[in-house]
Amino acid sequence: MVYIENWEDFQERAIVLFRSDPVATRYVMKYRHCDGKLVLKVTDDKVCLKFKTVHAQDIRKMEKLNNTFFSMMARGPDVEVPEDLPKEPVAPPPSRKGRGRRQ
Amino acid sequence: MVLLELDPFLNELTKLYENTKKSGTVWVTLKRSTLQRQKKRKKPEETPAQAAEAPEFRCLVRATDGKKKISCSLTAKDHQRFQTSYATVLKAHMDSLKKKEKNKKSSAAKAQAS
Repeated sequence: MVYIENWEDFQERAIVLFRSDPVATRYVMKYRHCDGKLVLKVTDDKVCLKFKTVHAQDIRKMEKLNNTFFSMMARGPDVEVPEDLPKEPVAPPPSRKGRGRRQ
Repeated sequence: MVLLELDPFLNELTKLYENTKKSGTVWVTLKRSTLQRQKKRKKPEETPAQAAEAPEFRCLVRATDGKKKISCSLTAKDHQRFQTSYATVLKAHMDSLKKKEKNKKSSAAKAQAS
């Protein structure tokens, strides 16, 4: 049982695992309210990926992963993955070089 | 294992979360299935034409609290609806996780310490 520390890593590997064998892969979620703990497991009975957390912010990430899995299971493993790309550095609008003269 | 329709399943899932607030765990499992076992029971050679057709995929969702088990089988059409309702249920019940309020708390702690 491998616990993965990084969410992005876990998400990517989980999706790859699902795509490699969509019928055998299952996604398990375990929640303990009394301990305030959430554990996610994705396995195809050969490889097992796990992620545990106590943080509320990870719920949102988990929901996105849920949505990804749902769409892959519904439409097939070829659905595009809405990757959370970090905001690409948008080129700032070309500012006027030099100080603009007050007119 | 109780097989339910979509809405009763969500109701039962909500009850599972509510019952385990003080102690206990909720497991939810999501898996794709082709439900082809039914074909194997019957004579497999009988209908080769049907076997050649694309199997219809369904998504199995199972939930348990260790004692009570419920399950639901979703079609592609049910997915959308289930997805939204499921997300709502989760958000409503998963409130015992730590919320990070780093900025406020750490700055307040620093202010107090100094």
